Amino acid sequence: MTQTVDAPAPVAGRVRPPLANRVLARPEIGALVAAIIIFIFFLVLAPSFRSAESFFTVLYQSSVIGIVAVGVGLLMIGGEFDLSAGVIVYTAGLANAMFCWYFGINLWIGALLSLAFCLLIGFLNGFLVMRTGIPSFLITLGTFFVLQGANLGVTKLVTKTVSSPDISQIAGYDSLGKVFSSSFKIGPVTIWGSVIWWILFVALAAWTLQRTRVGNWIFAVGGNPDSARAVGVPVVRTKIGLFMVVSFLGWFVGMHQLYRFNTLQAGGGVGNEFLYIIAAVVGGTLLTGGYGNAIGVAIGAFIFGMTSLGIIYAGWDPNWFKAFLGVMLLLAVLVNLYVKRMSTMRRAD
Amino acid sequence: MNAGSRTFRIAAALSVVALAASACSGGGREKTTDDTGGGGNAAGSSGYTIAFITHETPGDTFWDKVKNGAQQAAKDTGVTLKYSNDPEAPKQAALIQSAVDSKVNGIATTLVTPDALASSVKAATDAGIPVVGFNSGIDQYQKLGALMYFGSDETLAGTTAGKRLAEQGAKHPLCVIQQTGSVALEARCAGVKSSVPGTENIQVNGADDAAVTTTLQAKLAQDKSIDAIVTLGAPQAVDAIKAKDQSGSQAKLVTFDLNQEAAQDIKDGKIMFSIDQQPYVQGYMAVTSLYLNLKNGNDIGGGKAVLTGPSFVDSTNIDKILPFTKNNTR
Amino acid sequence: MTDTLAEHADSHLQKGEPLIEMADVGKSYGAIRALRGINLLVNAGEVTCVLGDNGAGKSTLIKIMSGLHPHNEGVVKVDGSPVTFGSPREALGHGIATVYQDLAVVGLMEVWRNFFLGSELTAGKYPLAGLKVKEMREIADTELRKMGIVVKDINQPIGTLSGGQRQCVAIARAVYFGARVLILDEPTAALGVKQSGVVLKYVAAARDAGLGVVFITHNPHHAYMVGDHFVILKLGRTALDKTRNEVGLDELTTQMAGGDELTELSHELGRQ
Repeated sequence: MTQTVDAPAPVAGRVRPPLANRVLARPEIGALVAAIIIFIFFLVLAPSFRSAESFFTVLYQSSVIGIVAVGVGLLMIGGEFDLSAGVIVYTAGLANAMFCWYFGINLWIGALLSLAFCLLIGFLNGFLVMRTGIPSFLITLGTFFVLQGANLGVTKLVTKTVSSPDISQIAGYDSLGKVFSSSFKIGPVTIWGSVIWWILFVALAAWTLQRTRVGNWIFAVGGNPDSARAVGVPVVRTKIGLFMVVSFLGWFVGMHQLYRFNTLQAGGGVGNEFLYIIAAVVGGTLLTGGYGNAIGVAIGAFIFGMTSLGIIYAGWDPNWFKAFLGVMLLLAVLVNLYVKRMSTMRRAD
Repeated sequence: MNAGSRTFRIAAALSVVALAASACSGGGREKTTDDTGGGGNAAGSSGYTIAFITHETPGDTFWDKVKNGAQQAAKDTGVTLKYSNDPEAPKQAALIQSAVDSKVNGIATTLVTPDALASSVKAATDAGIPVVGFNSGIDQYQKLGALMYFGSDETLAGTTAGKRLAEQGAKHPLCVIQQTGSVALEARCAGVKSSVPGTENIQVNGADDAAVTTTLQAKLAQDKSIDAIVTLGAPQAVDAIKAKDQSGSQAKLVTFDLNQEAAQDIKDGKIMFSIDQQPYVQGYMAVTSLYLNLKNGNDIGGGKAVLTGPSFVDSTNIDKILPFTKNNTR
Repeated sequence: MTDTLAEHADSHLQKGEPLIEMADVGKSYGAIRALRGINLLVNAGEVTCVLGDNGAGKSTLIKIMSGLHPHNEGVVKVDGSPVTFGSPREALGHGIATVYQDLAVVGLMEVWRNFFLGSELTAGKYPLAGLKVKEMREIADTELRKMGIVVKDINQPIGTLSGGQRQCVAIARAVYFGARVLILDEPTAALGVKQSGVVLKYVAAARDAGLGVVFITHNPHHAYMVGDHFVILKLGRTALDKTRNEVGLDELTTQMAGGDELTELSHELGRQ
């Protein structure tokens, strides 16, 4: 005997919340508001902030942090941390430089090998986290120490100094420079290729998160990996993939640093791993995972760039630099939180 | 298994292509014969063991040269060298103490934080182990019980650099500090300021070249009256050149310390001069003086500190010195 | 909902055809044997009720069927061939959809994203193909309305819905994607009487559409209303395994409440 069920509820009562609520609820709006406030703040206080050149210098600095921050942000939305992201930038550049210098090989080969190496490190990070169940914070802390030591140890072994050798005479230097470290001038303003790449990566990440299957999976594995697994999301593959995205972007910035500065110091990159996380958090990414937005991360990186250079442009006492930076970033996070709260409160009425 | 073998074949093809394309390129290292610093007696043949302790943070180009000097001296005199370092004062004191405990014949140590190291040094002198100071602590080494001192007076170096800048007409130099809280770096800038009162300091993140460049760029844009830049490390000088190019500044650039790139820049006229504290000499002399003291009872300096710097490297003597930068000894 | 069930059910199902056969299946977690010697048949067009106390092994049984954990002993056959599911994906691939006791939803994600999680509709096969967002929103909304749930905003995070509403989303999801077997783990636990009634009607409707249904519950009354086949688990083993013809509601209730031990207990307590 067939059972019938009650008739479906009427379609008439469909309600769409007002536009203002929907806009305010988006995670990146808080970051945008904070960015605008800080921008105006420095516009008022720092005369030299007001030029186009300064704006593009800020964009350049933001992009160097922002490119890797995109990956770190995606990973945080996926529920994990990567503390080796700062050091791997220099590992990539050092590996490329020293390999090609020692064997006398075209730099393109070295760049590709360096890419393979960095992707391997990303894979290892992800694999270890998923296999052992140890928090990613600890696993990548270990990777961070290993890479930091290896950067120094291998450099000393190969070059007998603590910086990578001059590679400007090796074949491929100019062409690689065009890819990773190009810039063009419009009048007095220099626009760096890294800014264009940054915007591209942000757009790609935003599309992936919001409009693809993979994005749905990233939110799910960050919000509740057990639930995600239960409904068939490939949790392990997604998380390992995210770690590899971070190491890819770290390699990319490493290539930029190498082909702009030619020689790299073996101790470089240390400390930047926290800047990437800060950019993501300021941009509205939840530390516990499952919530966040690529555009927000980009805004967070921009806030960092503005703040770190704005302090110089304003001529403040440089000894207090770190203190100022900390205060501004705290304010940015608070503004972000306030805006988000305002949006949920309004929904209640 | 078809997919597997196909991937394997593609990978094999790619590696062949890669090898073919990896046309040996010039511009790499010169493939000469053994290039370790040669000469000297077999290590340890004199029978002396010397502990060499610094406050190096690992990866610093300056300390690298100090170490090279010490190791070469050990080779030349047949001494066994035990190198150790820690940037934190209490830990450095512990390193000195363990050297005393292992009954070394002599101790060479930096004295950047004399109060923290005083008791360990006293333990050494009480045990009859000769102690030599180097690199920092020029004013306190005698009070602590060290016999000799080889180093540079950072303040003197700064003052001299400032004087030369003033002679060139600089009124508003920018002194770039790449490490926070470093006594030596602050002393250099203070020295410059005493010669040129208009000197201004700026902090940069030495661990990120891009950040150093943009920070200096921003500063040069903010203050167009800056007519000289003083960097305290060779890598920062190279970054400063880029910052100058980007901002179109005509400021004169001088730096402390040398590396290969900076040396080339001096030759090309991009850097006016470098103040070399000769870290190689500091390391070399600290070890050699202990050797002589142990073997022959000698002491060097006539009761006063022996200055290894400032030694100026500029267009007049760069040609002679450039080849040495390739060996990482200058 | 019957139309959804009818639409999504596999058209080749024949009533009585064995969909899942478990022979002597067991599972151990380290030193603990959670299940032992389980023989279970899930046939198309029939409701198999699995009952038992806490710790009896019901959830372990579900995890094996839905692919969360593989079994250690015995053979599990799906459509006649032995399988060992390495992940829930594989189970879903065989048309086995599960409504978990903890619902398996991601609180911060929107309702429609949760509905389609793991089975998203994309505009193409390539890795970064766009999601058909509008379509997914509409489908999710429609399916929920069929269950009598009106969500104010299909874009709101699922964590803002009530427990009962979330349960309905989980059920609607399983019904929508389940083509052959529907497993419901304590679906009425968080629901009131009326909503429980709705769920039972779906169980029956799924059966009529030809699916095999596995219905886990604490409540023998609910079980008896829809069940064709009853299995009671006790400490990891089968304590009772009878069809509807062979057992009545009273016996079911007594066995569930403890059977012989209950008789002993009532003697001890000595009340009439």
